[in-house]
This record gives sequence, structure tokens and C-alpha cells, in this order.
Amino acid sequence: MAVEWGIALSLARHGRDELLALAERAEARGLDLIVLQDDDDDDDGQGLDPWTTAAWLAGRTRQIPIAIEHDPAAISEAMAAKAVESLGFLAGGRVLTSAPAGVQVRPASEIDRIQVTERDRTGRTAAVRAKRRAGIAYDDVPASLADATIEPGDPGFRGRRSTYMRGGSPGLILQPRTPDEVADALRFARRHPDLPLGLRSGGHGVSGRSTNDGGLVIDVSRMNDIEVLDEATRLVRIGPGATWKQVAAELDKYDWAIGSGDYGGVGVGGLATAGGIGFLSREHGLTIDSLVAVELVLADGTQIRADETLNQDLFWGVRGAGANFGVATAFEFQASEVHEVGWAQLTLVSPDLEQSLRQYGQVAREAPRDTTVFLIAGPPRQGQTVIQLYGVVDSPDPDVVVERLTPFAGTGLLAQQQVVLTRYAGIMAGAADVGPDGHHGRGEPMARSGFLPVLTDEFARDAAALLRTGKVFFFALRHMGGAIADTTREATAFSHRTPEFQVTAIGADRDGLDQVWDRLAGHFDGLYLSFETDPRPERLHDAFPPDVLARLRSLKQRYDPTHLFRDNFWVGENS
Amino acid sequence: MTDYGHDLLFGAFVTPTAQDRQAVELAVTADRAGLDLVTFQDHPYQPTFLDTWTLMSYVAARTSRIRITGNVINLPLRPPAVLARAAASLDLLSGGRFELGIGAGAFWDPIVAMGGRRLTAGQSIEALAEGIGVIRDLWDTSARDRVQHDGTYYQVSGAKRGPKPAHDIGVWVGAYKPKMLALTGALGDGWLPSMDYLPDGVASLPGMNAHIDEAATEAGRSPAAVRRLMNFMRFDGSAERLADLALNHGISGFIFGGDDARSYERLAAEVAPEVRDIVKRSRS
Repeated sequence: MAVEWGIALSLARHGRDELLALAERAEARGLDLIVLQDDDDDDDGQGLDPWTTAAWLAGRTRQIPIAIEHDPAAISEAMAAKAVESLGFLAGGRVLTSAPAGVQVRPASEIDRIQVTERDRTGRTAAVRAKRRAGIAYDDVPASLADATIEPGDPGFRGRRSTYMRGGSPGLILQPRTPDEVADALRFARRHPDLPLGLRSGGHGVSGRSTNDGGLVIDVSRMNDIEVLDEATRLVRIGPGATWKQVAAELDKYDWAIGSGDYGGVGVGGLATAGGIGFLSREHGLTIDSLVAVELVLADGTQIRADETLNQDLFWGVRGAGANFGVATAFEFQASEVHEVGWAQLTLVSPDLEQSLRQYGQVAREAPRDTTVFLIAGPPRQGQTVIQLYGVVDSPDPDVVVERLTPFAGTGLLAQQQVVLTRYAGIMAGAADVGPDGHHGRGEPMARSGFLPVLTDEFARDAAALLRTGKVFFFALRHMGGAIADTTREATAFSHRTPEFQVTAIGADRDGLDQVWDRLAGHFDGLYLSFETDPRPERLHDAFPPDVLARLRSLKQRYDPTHLFRDNFWVGENS
Repeated sequence: MTDYGHDLLFGAFVTPTAQDRQAVELAVTADRAGLDLVTFQDHPYQPTFLDTWTLMSYVAARTSRIRITGNVINLPLRPPAVLARAAASLDLLSGGRFELGIGAGAFWDPIVAMGGRRLTAGQSIEALAEGIGVIRDLWDTSARDRVQHDGTYYQVSGAKRGPKPAHDIGVWVGAYKPKMLALTGALGDGWLPSMDYLPDGVASLPGMNAHIDEAATEAGRSPAAVRRLMNFMRFDGSAERLADLALNHGISGFIFGGDDARSYERLAAEVAPEVRDIVKRSRS
């Protein structure tokens, strides 16, 4: 490896203009590092603040790494971390809070005497290597993935480290572009059996399981093709890395849609292996019910296709517990014909949430299949609860749309309403685009989930009490029923076919949330794994009833006997 | 009629969002368009926001003419000794373009979550007064002795002074309630509230200005020593209204939110010259 060179600049002795001139010179000469030294060898007063200067110099240079000698001066670690993270965003991770080992740092006066040698351009600089995590064989990344990895020191890391709701810090992100590259990534993962292994498509998952701390992430976002295979049968082939917003936009050209969740930013891979409860489910079934075939790479690198006739048992398991069996590389769906729909967003104020929930339950229960209305509520303020109702009436007829929505609007005092005729693609388009900037979740999401067989008066009472505790800041009811139950319980590993609602609560701290949520347990029958973050082992049994779990475990034994995939509702071993 | 006779400043109130480099782009646009100020709110506990200090330092490198300030800097999360050195550094690096908009803090739960300490409203005002004293002491390199400050809220023992800012950094205080207005009059170089938060909008201004004036006079200062600036959440483009605020309510800094590059260009190219023109004619 070629020698890397840096220069040391003094915050006390060099003035602004001299610092800038030296930094520009170091960059022009191809040096690898600038170290800002907070030296204190004069008595004239303090030198420039290291962090402020580093941030300013980062704005004046293009690519040279800049190191200071300690964390930014701040009131707390959290504030220092915020500063570092922010500059990572602005300057692409090239400002370091300690000088990396392995760089020869010379005084600024020697800047023109340093002989810079040509460096291997595919290799990473010492500054980047300094941020590597223990236990990962970085030098042995398969050749096919050499240009498809992101390390903690790389500029793209910031946008990929975290998910929508979880802050993460993986040690290496692998971004395969083909099934063969997925197999290579899995071969690399098999060499690291003790590290966490996240599988990431859109990175939206509320349960936040697609990132980790110090482990590996296989990020399939580059496998995002959307291709119509057969127009007559509406057969579509979609890569796991596409988002539902992209899918909806593409299918809209044909007057088709595949029901997804309620947010277009969600990735195809995560949803199509878990369930997919959305605005079209009551009419066309869950997302997995539109799935006709899936292609995966198994833990041992085998590429396999599964459908109703080929590897039927795997096809069953992927539809509800997919993360246990492999990395999906393509899905084939049969889209539904969907034309203009009514899209409603209603804001209600309720002085009596219990009463409003009872009424909403009644109205939702009686709604025809073309109508799906979700409910969100937060904690009451001054005795009033704000309720958001949002959903779809699958009809292009404004009179029908209004007729369907009117009973929902009466479940509280209507404060605001927006009802439009639009396309399913128009609804999914409401999601923000996640560009290279990525997701920036922080900490751990705290979400609990339950399937509610019937919205009883007792549930309404207890749910209202739950919100009064203030421990839950987001409470959602997803309207199920209708076509979801047209598929039998045995057909897919997702076996919760008959609840009226899927219920989600998000809180700020785990103990507080669990304490109040666990009181509701008697109302529920099972949980939806996409919204569940409780690490207690009982949750696995809520997600999968005994017969389903037993079948999943025997499949696990067959398809992933070394248990490489265990970071997302790991079904475990037969006891 | 209240007019303190300051030259007029026009600026942008930019959300420090961590999305698509929007905040940096808006600052660069405001600089190119010829606005006088680019300002950033400071809520580091907001996960989707960048650290305002880091952002301002970076923005200083990407702009050449515009003055930069926090709007306003959250003192409970930025200890005064650190803040003084960083502010002086930023002023030096930016070529004298930094001003210090500062506030006592408001959202205590997230402040505590980020490592600040919880203060009552009254305590936070006392802490701000103390903090401003510490900051000005550290900037003052004309004295040779080290800075000693044994306060209720801040202790500084034998800190070196400096670096010396490139210009006299204005301390602009975000203030609404009587005690804060009094502090502003006694210690501030500027007053930096938001129109939307004034209890009665424009009608509040005579009373609030009088509060500041009174406190300034009591502290032996001229009321004109405190520049009056104002944030507006939206840009409505009415030159007459702004001129009225300048001539009748003493407002000499107009800072607009909205994060919209085109409205900042319009503000600089059309509205600001018109307001300056009306004010100039009326003053002469």
C-alpha cells in the first residue's frame, strides 16, 4: 500500500487566509489529510475553534479529509454527535474527529517537499479505513461487489446507515445489482456468522430491522426494475428495491395497481415478504395475495424460484415470513385493474374518543369492500382528541365517494376535509422521494402491533385509556376485512385473515409503551410483524400461531439450516 | 412614530433541514441575490435538522457577502465559553459576517434530552444575561488578564481571551416577555422576535419597543443602540407594509421564512429597493 501524507495546520498560528491557502495547496497536491492542530503554545490568546474551522474548510475544499484532534466542543455527547453527523451530511464524511493512523503527517512548512505517490484508486484512504468496524474482513469483499459497498467512512454512508425510524451504524453495506451478486454477498455474510445481518429494500420498515450496529447490511435498492411480462394477464415483474410509489407510477400507465401499504416510500421487498395491508386490501387482498411467483437467493447461494407449483412450501413461507428464508431478487405479481378512486383525508376533533372509536368500528364494519378508511389518533389535548381518517373509495363516481365517506365523517366533529378523485399512483406519490440522501432515523423505534378480531366497546374504552396515558403518541387502526379473508388461513404464512383491524401504537420509550400496551393484550389475536419492535420472545408466537410456526421451523431447517437469517422475526429452531 | 434610523436589512429565515442540501442552496441563493442576512433557527433536538452551528460554518465558506446569524442560538445547549470562541472564529473565517442572534431557550424537554439543563423561564433569563457577559468578556482581548466568572449559571475559571472577532459582533436577542425585553434593552445590540409570536401582532410593537427603550435608557444606553429586527414566517411582498413598520415601529431588519428561493430573489430585487426608497424619502 502506498504511503499516505498529511499536513498539520495550526489553529493558533495560521490566520484565516494562510489556513485557506495551505488547505487548497494540500488538496491541489493530492495529499490525503489535513490535521487542524489546536495547539496552545502562544500566550496571545486562543486560536480558532477547531470544529468551526473544520466545517468552514470543508466548505472551501472538495475532497481532502480534514481531521481535528478531539470531538467538537459541546455541552454533551449528543450535541457533539449532532455536529459530526451534520457535517457528515454537508461534507460527505470527510471531517474526522481524530487523525487516522497510518498517515504520515508533516508540518505545513514541508508541504511542497512531500513526494505524493500514485495511490490505488479502488482502495480506501487511511481516513476511511480508520472508521472500519472490528470483525469484518473488508479486504476480502468479493470482487464482483468491490464497487458496490459502502463503509462507515465513505461519503454515501450517512444516507444508508439508518432507516426511516431507526438510527444505525452497520460496519459494511453491500449493494448487489444481480442475483449472482446477491449470492456473492451471502457468501461474504456466511464468513461472518456472528455479525448481525440486515436485509434492506426501501429502508422504511417501522420495525427498523434493516440496519444494525457493526454488522452487515445487504441493500437490494439497486435491484429495482419494473417490467410488464404479459399485458393480457397483467403480469408484472418487480425488483425488491423498487418503492411502491415507483410501482404505482409505472402501473398507472396501464390502469393497473398492486395494493401496497399506505405509504409510497415503502420498498417492495419488505412488504411483499410480510403481508401488505393497504387501501386496496379489502377489495383485492393483501400485497402477498397478488404475488404469483418469487425468486430468491438462499443462504447457501442457491438461486430458487417459488410459486404455486414449484417449491410451493417456500412460496407459502415467503408470503408472511420471507426474511427467514432468503434474499428476494424478483417478484412476479398479477396487478388489478384500478381506475380513478376517491381519496379522502379527514380531520376530526373528538371530545369523547371512546365513543368515536365505537362509531368508527361500526361504520368500518358495515362499509362495502370498495371502501377502506384508516384511523390515526394521538394523545388528547385539553380533553379533545384529533382524529385523522384517511382512505380510499374505489369508485370514480363522486356521489358514491361522498355516500361512502359520510358515515365516517360523522364519527367526530369534522374540522378539515380533503376529498379528491385521483389515481392510486397519485396517492402513493404523496410519499417523499428518498434520494441519495437516504433516511435519517435516530435511536430505536418503539412500536407495538396487534390484530383486533372485533372492535368491541371494551376495546374502545381501553384504547381511549391508552391514549390518555400520554405514553403513545401515534395510534393507528388499519381497516381490514373484505377480500383479505378470501384467501384461506392455510394459503400463506401470514395467517391472520379475519381481524377487523390491525392496530399500531408508537411511543417514546419502550418500558412506558409496553406497560400500557400489554394491558390491551386480551383484545388481540396475533400481531403484524412489520409494526412490532418488542424484543420479548413471546412476540414470535403472536406473529405465528403454533401450527404456522412449526411449519416455518421445518422450512427453516431445509432452506436456512445454519440460521444465517435471524435478524427479522427469526423463527428459531424446533425445540 | 418610532424610527431608530438604522439602515435597513433584508434577510432569509432558513429551515436548517437535512434534506437535499436545501439549506445551503437557499443561503447561496440569498447571497447571490443580494440579501443582507441569512439566518437559521437552532433546534438541534429536531432529528430532521442539521446542527445550526455546523451549518453556519459551512455556509460561511460557500457565501461571500451575506451576513449570517442563528435565529436564534439556543444558549442552554451552547455553553457561553464555547460559543464565544466559536462565534469569534466564525466571524474571522467569514470576514466579519457573523452576528449572534441568541435566545434563552424554550423547549425544555428536548433541551434536557440533548444534555442541557432544565431551567425555569426566570432562571433562563438570568442565565442569558450571565451568558452574554461571559461571551463579551471572552471577545474582549484588550484586557490581558484571563477571564474569571463565578456566576449562578456559568463558571469560567482562568479562560484565555479570544480569538478577537473581526468586527463588533452584534448580540441580537429573541425576546417577547417583559423581563426578556428589559434584558434586550439593557444588554442587546438587537431585538429579534417573530411577528407571529407577538401577542397582538403589529399592535404589540409600541408597547414592546417602549419596554426595550426604557430598559436601555435605564442602563445608560441610547434606545437606538438596540436595532429592531423582525421575522416573518411568510413573504407577502408588500413594500408599503414593511416601510410602515420601519417608519412607525422602528423595525430595521426584515427576515422572511418560507424556504423559497424565488421569493428571496424577489425580495432582494424588487421589494427591498422599494422599501429602502420609501424609507429614505420619508426620512429626508
